[in-house]
Amino acid sequence: MKINRTVEFTWHVIFMATVLVLVFPIIYAVGMSFKPLEDAYNNVLNIFSLHPTLENYITFFDTLPVLKVTMNTFIIASVATIFKVFTSFLAAYAFVYFQFKGKEIVYFLLISTIFIPFTVTMIPNYLIISDLGLLDSVWGVILPQLADAIGIFLITQSMRSIPLSLIEVARLDNLGHGKIMKDIVFPLVRPAVTSVGIWFFISSWNEFVWPVLILKTTENYTLPLALQMYISSEGGTNFTVAMAVSVITMIIPLILYLTFQKYIIGTFTSSGIK
Amino acid sequence: MKEIRFEHVKKSYGNTEVVKDLNFTIREGERLILLGPSGCGKSTTLRMIAGLEDITEGSLFMNGKKMNDVPSGKRNAAMVFQNYALYPHMTLKQNIIYGLKVQKLSKEEIQSRLDFVLDMLQLKGLEDRLPKDLSGGQRQRVALARATVKRSDFFLLDEPLSNLDAQLRVSARKELLKIHDMFKQTMVYVTHDQIEAMTFADRIALMYNGELQMLDTPTNVYHRPANVFTAKFIGSPPTNILEMNYHEKSISIGQQSFELNEIWLKHIKQRNTSDLLFGIRPEHVELSTASFSNGYRGKVKYTENLGSNYSVYIDLDGQEVVAASDHKHWYKGDTVYFRPMMDRIHFFHKGTGNSIGYPEELLDADYKNKEESRVLA
Repeated sequence: MKINRTVEFTWHVIFMATVLVLVFPIIYAVGMSFKPLEDAYNNVLNIFSLHPTLENYITFFDTLPVLKVTMNTFIIASVATIFKVFTSFLAAYAFVYFQFKGKEIVYFLLISTIFIPFTVTMIPNYLIISDLGLLDSVWGVILPQLADAIGIFLITQSMRSIPLSLIEVARLDNLGHGKIMKDIVFPLVRPAVTSVGIWFFISSWNEFVWPVLILKTTENYTLPLALQMYISSEGGTNFTVAMAVSVITMIIPLILYLTFQKYIIGTFTSSGIK
Repeated sequence: MKEIRFEHVKKSYGNTEVVKDLNFTIREGERLILLGPSGCGKSTTLRMIAGLEDITEGSLFMNGKKMNDVPSGKRNAAMVFQNYALYPHMTLKQNIIYGLKVQKLSKEEIQSRLDFVLDMLQLKGLEDRLPKDLSGGQRQRVALARATVKRSDFFLLDEPLSNLDAQLRVSARKELLKIHDMFKQTMVYVTHDQIEAMTFADRIALMYNGELQMLDTPTNVYHRPANVFTAKFIGSPPTNILEMNYHEKSISIGQQSFELNEIWLKHIKQRNTSDLLFGIRPEHVELSTASFSNGYRGKVKYTENLGSNYSVYIDLDGQEVVAASDHKHWYKGDTVYFRPMMDRIHFFHKGTGNSIGYPEELLDADYKNKEESRVLA
């Protein structure tokens, strides 16, 4: 018993240290965002300032249309996510339940696009968006993000684990594909769909390179672009304001994660479905 | 007519033919068992009826209509799967009525059908449980209930009892009979278990290698096998099939001869063949320590205890004969005298393996009445 307790204690210390290492930057950013700029340089080791101030947030709100920028980011991330999840689900359904000529080859080609680096498609994509007249518009950012092979791959894998007989029972009940998708397949792959969705949302939310190519005016900026303004020559290097922007950038994905985390955990427990 | 008719039905995957030229009719309201070893094409045949597999060649008729291109949902068929195929995210009740809701039946009708089936299959009180919270036997009954509430003309079952233990199987069989008695659907039931087939079927369709070997009542499949395969597949231990020589009045196996009666002699003569195999079931061999006037002598090789009786393996001039005995006093090396029961023997053509048929005098009334139920292979 005693040995067990010691082992348990040791593990807990290790876990807590790990958590601290992971959480520290976040706490530090939050603390920093409430510091006056001098404190950031003079009291580096104080996580929380002795003279807390909202100055940084006010500066941010004064220099940029923050609501508009947040909305831009939100629109891009949610539209891209909804479309990616939707197209991935439909494509996965077709790959799993339809028999057609060349299915394996099409699937293979599609999945191999995962390995094409973004930089390869960046310029062609830019030219297309430019030709479509969508430069400096959130839709120009969204358009190339409406489908994603990773989503197709992950949802296909999850769908393949559904016994085929469930679908056959539904076919014998004269159910159309729409109903089979909605009532049977979707509830069974929901954990996978949710995880994929959160992943898409967060990666789109944090995306920097593609929006910076497309968006020109500050009014159309997304939060990562705004953040960059304060750590480059453009806005002067103002770490405390940058931290305030970071905190605002973190909030929405965090809320989203907390709302859906039970489904993410569900991904690992859904193996109970047989 | 809720009958199912196969006309030259074939099914192949690429170059592999899994079902070869099926021609038979499943009668309205009968319980037909598709029986055979694994890979014989029985499940494929059932799935073609359900519309879950395409038909490569030939025609399938149900209710008098050609069904080759009719989708599953329009065939008026319900199916029970081996793994039950219950929706894991729906409660027992939702599982049962989901199909009815899709059919847009009235609420009252759905409720009354649900109550009826819950009552019949003793599922009352479990309505709100998820499949994972049910036992194997309960899940199986839910699968039956879901297929029953549809009240369809055709009831298809793919090894529905194979995941149950022996006792539950007996009670599940009773429930199936109850359902059939009540609704008189045309039932097609796939199994590889001959006991299930014997106890449950009106008729058995025995398949092997994608071909129908015999289609007949359980009694005839057992007592009047159409070919060597049927004789060996049905019954345990299987029918003895022995090399023999045919003479004018007798047959010989090894060096020993056995005199046939007039009835058999006439029958064989009419068939105009002498290249034959001799068949006899272990339970139709009489054993004795004293010699028979018309019988064989052999040596006991070993004995197997089957509980209800013993199988005695005998060496008959180099060929092995199995006989059933109700007592155990046969030991290795003993000399044993035995005699096949004259009206229980079978003859098969050596080349084709087909039965040469049975003399009119030996046929039961049951067999004679069914002109259609003859040998098919």
